[in-house]
Amino acid sequence: MTVNILQKIRETDFFKDLSDEACAAVAAEASTRHFAAGDAMMKKGDPADSFFVILEGTLKIVTTDAKGDEIIINKVGPGESIGELALVDELPRSAGVVALEPVEALEFTKQDLFDLLARQDVSLGILRGFSHRLRFSTTYIEKVIDWSQKTAEGNYSFLDQTQPLVTPAGSDEAKAAQLLSAFYSMVRKVKEREDDLKEKLERLTVEIDQERRKREFEEIAGTEFYAKLKEQAKALRQKRNSG
Amino acid sequence: MAGKIVSIHSFRGGTGKSNTTANLASQVALTGKRVGIVDTDIQSPGIHVLFGLNEQKMGKTLNDFLHGKASIREVGFPVGKNTGEGAGRAQLAGKELYLFPSSIRGQDISQILREGIDFNKLNEAMQMAISEFELDYLFIDTHPGLNEETLLSIATSDVLIIILRPDNQDLQGTSVTVDVARSLDVPNLFLLVNKALPKYDAVELKKDIEEQFQATVTSILPLSFDMAENASQDLFLLRYPDHAWSVALRNVIPYILNAE
Repeated sequence: MTVNILQKIRETDFFKDLSDEACAAVAAEASTRHFAAGDAMMKKGDPADSFFVILEGTLKIVTTDAKGDEIIINKVGPGESIGELALVDELPRSAGVVALEPVEALEFTKQDLFDLLARQDVSLGILRGFSHRLRFSTTYIEKVIDWSQKTAEGNYSFLDQTQPLVTPAGSDEAKAAQLLSAFYSMVRKVKEREDDLKEKLERLTVEIDQERRKREFEEIAGTEFYAKLKEQAKALRQKRNSG
Repeated sequence: MAGKIVSIHSFRGGTGKSNTTANLASQVALTGKRVGIVDTDIQSPGIHVLFGLNEQKMGKTLNDFLHGKASIREVGFPVGKNTGEGAGRAQLAGKELYLFPSSIRGQDISQILREGIDFNKLNEAMQMAISEFELDYLFIDTHPGLNEETLLSIATSDVLIIILRPDNQDLQGTSVTVDVARSLDVPNLFLLVNKALPKYDAVELKKDIEEQFQATVTSILPLSFDMAENASQDLFLLRYPDHAWSVALRNVIPYILNAE
């Protein structure tokens, strides 16, 4: 293993909390794999028997829709790992992963991982990484719950109170932040549409036929009954005001 | 201070006049005021239903008074002592709210239509209701349009609230009613928009109508299916106080209570 690879392992989300010695152990266990653009790293439904840490290049995570057309769920790049959770929960691949350009990655088989986990410094480092991710996720989930409730009540104040999140691309934090930022932009768009709709409210054109109004009033006011009523009403008001 | 006559009127039928009158009067009664409601829609009475009255429960009516067959004391139905069923109405228990109903018997209605109304007698009914029951407010649920008994109600009003829907037919008719009310020197003339479609901008609507009539629009009540469904069973405002229609209707109360 070259120094270059050791350095890259240190920069990955999965291994970043490991000591230098533990990183060297990881580097020794991994095998380097190369994929050309269009090559499949994983196929949907395959058994999960290894996981990858990307050193170079980007890949797309894909699934198919009801018509069988490809849908890109996400893209992954250097520093990110794919498939590590499947090794633990032993579920088949839920999506395919295809290289978008030449890709260099480290592959760890299930056995490699278990061997590494036998080292306390490696397992502790990995656990530390997992707890960080969990902690981030919880914080972000709480945020999303809070925003959801506010949105449901039509309270969009958080849009102004929140700065757009800037996080280094590819980091775990960025992944969690992606959810938050997707939510943020969703709410902003909902609000924009709502504001737009409010502006589109119709204005009733008040059209009164003034001649007809005058004619109808005169028809009522011109009667003998009305003249008498007007007198009576006047007298009544005077009487009540004085009494 | 003498009790005030608050007439609720609309140029056309179907504006929600009886419902609005019953709910407003009840809300005023809840504040501890002594309140009466006269149904002068003698040709097609309806407000009694909102207070759970039917032909069996109804005692003496305004018609009996007009024909000299009953005193105004006998006609006034104490709602606070007979709230009957309905969670909204139940809140009126012990309140001083009196309904002066019109007869719903076919023969009484046809007699009125045949013989007409003695206006002095109708006027007397209103004045006596106020004095005998020591009312602070007497609400009058009028017949739509501008027939003679309606003109009398308008003429004797201290407060006139004209209900209209936001459409040009109602606006046209309301314009004539506004002119009549001004000509009869009604001291407090207010407008109330009901059944407003959500597509209309309430702020603009209020501004446009006020500009047109030079009169205050006290509130804009939304078109409500909840309201339509529950109407005639109970007092909607009391039963569903947080509903948008109820919240909007409560905006009208200060205009009534603060009227000079």
